[in-house]
Amino acid sequence: MFRTEEMDINMGPQHPSTHGVLRLKLTLDGEEIVDVRPIIGYLHRGVEKLCEHRTYPMIEPLTDRLDYVAAISENLGYCGAVEKLMGLQVPPRAQYIRVILAELQRIASHLLWLGTHALDLGAMTVYFYTFRERELILDLFEQFCGARLTYNSMRIGGLLEDVPAGWTDRVRHFLGLFPSRQKEYEDLLTVNRIWLGRTRGVGILKADDAVAMGASGPTLRGSGVDYDVRRAQPYSSYEQFEFDVPTGTNCDTYDRYLVRMEEMRQSCRIIRQALDRLPEGEVRAKVPKYIKPPVGEVYHVVESPRGEQGFYLVSKGGEMPYRMRFRSPSFVNLQALPMMCRGQLIADVVAVIGSIDIVLGDVDR
Amino acid sequence: MSDTRAHAAPALPSGLKDFLKTVLLLELWVGLWVTLKNQFRPHITVEYPKETVELSPRFRGVPRLRYHPDNGEELCIACHLCETVCPDDCIHIVSEKKPEGKGKRLVSFEINYERCCFCGLCVDPCPTKPLTAIYMSHDYEMADYKREGFVAPLKTLLDGMDPKDYKE
Repeated sequence: MFRTEEMDINMGPQHPSTHGVLRLKLTLDGEEIVDVRPIIGYLHRGVEKLCEHRTYPMIEPLTDRLDYVAAISENLGYCGAVEKLMGLQVPPRAQYIRVILAELQRIASHLLWLGTHALDLGAMTVYFYTFRERELILDLFEQFCGARLTYNSMRIGGLLEDVPAGWTDRVRHFLGLFPSRQKEYEDLLTVNRIWLGRTRGVGILKADDAVAMGASGPTLRGSGVDYDVRRAQPYSSYEQFEFDVPTGTNCDTYDRYLVRMEEMRQSCRIIRQALDRLPEGEVRAKVPKYIKPPVGEVYHVVESPRGEQGFYLVSKGGEMPYRMRFRSPSFVNLQALPMMCRGQLIADVVAVIGSIDIVLGDVDR
Repeated sequence: MSDTRAHAAPALPSGLKDFLKTVLLLELWVGLWVTLKNQFRPHITVEYPKETVELSPRFRGVPRLRYHPDNGEELCIACHLCETVCPDDCIHIVSEKKPEGKGKRLVSFEINYERCCFCGLCVDPCPTKPLTAIYMSHDYEMADYKREGFVAPLKTLLDGMDPKDYKE
């Protein structure tokens, strides 16, 4: 007779839809997932230890390389943590420009997520369109800070330089173009029956479970929990902007997709407000030549495109931090993966990995 | 729990209208229309080695050194600030006291492009005004066959890398 037994197989670390070097140990009963164990560490670079041997300005290029898809959010969080510790007041203009950059970064990051997520599920066309628009944002970043991926765009106390002439007009031009392009992605996916079949009811993460696992960002909001760091603990003058926090109802992959799509619209809304009210003035506070924060510790969180990005910093008063700890949203969200995958089919694992939008540089650090 | 929900998922088909929608594959045609529209948009990609895209003025390519605009010597005053601030330890400066007058002058200045991460931190503290002695140039094609080619001496930093003849 047929034997039925559970089988262990490895998915990754070289699997194209694990978005990097994630290895999953799947226990299968036929095609059904019995258990998933994520095995991480393939991209571990010891960034936290490296930070202990670098002065504060030198750490910023390292933060670029944590979540390399959304480096500006990391820059913002790190600079915010040091500024909080030093009690620096960032000039309003710099705060607004930081908000514009962070929200552009959120759109760029969600575009990359949308393209690769759709590619994983077999919708290849969207990938080319999202990367085309992402390229426009990267051009804006290149004009602002000179780099396209690892920006090192901010400095402790503000920004290195003001925006170049005509940059705000180019951002406005992008904002004028983007909604119609986003409608195209939605035409391709939102009502597409294949897309619905692959995402609806797949990878359900109940609200209570999401909170218990410490999930954050779109993964948490897709489960219907209304929590956004930008509103709960505003930083960089987010309290002055009006925006909605979208949440899902069905807690599945499709809802997380809808949440991110709506977040892109809200980001456009925030950028428009910031451009309209952009204050004049300095972009960098008075910062001592050698940055030596006082003895103490600080925890600063920002809402990165992936969720709650935390920076814990201990200073003993020297030029280098005594301890630096990153609370990375991808790492925490990944812990909810087994919960979402149990009982699903093996093809759904790909959909679920895509929907939590992990970046392995952020998971392993 | 929340007042602003992501717009509701489309309901499952029911009734004659929805039956027709299902049979005629309407939503697939909407998607195909998007694809068709994009067939007629202009190309945005370029054939790289033949054409290149325009770089923005602030583009951060490989770090290089400037000549003094007046006397044609190097602008660098050998203050070692860029060496101190570099997070990758890729800058190596040797300086000596000037034979006459105050200050120091360069003996050698090396940047190891293998280690450089193009962060631009070396440019911030450079004290020469109004032009900084070290700057992020617009050079970016730096492939080489040997590792020694990535340690740029003073002459390369001032004059730029030699144009390379790539093997066929």
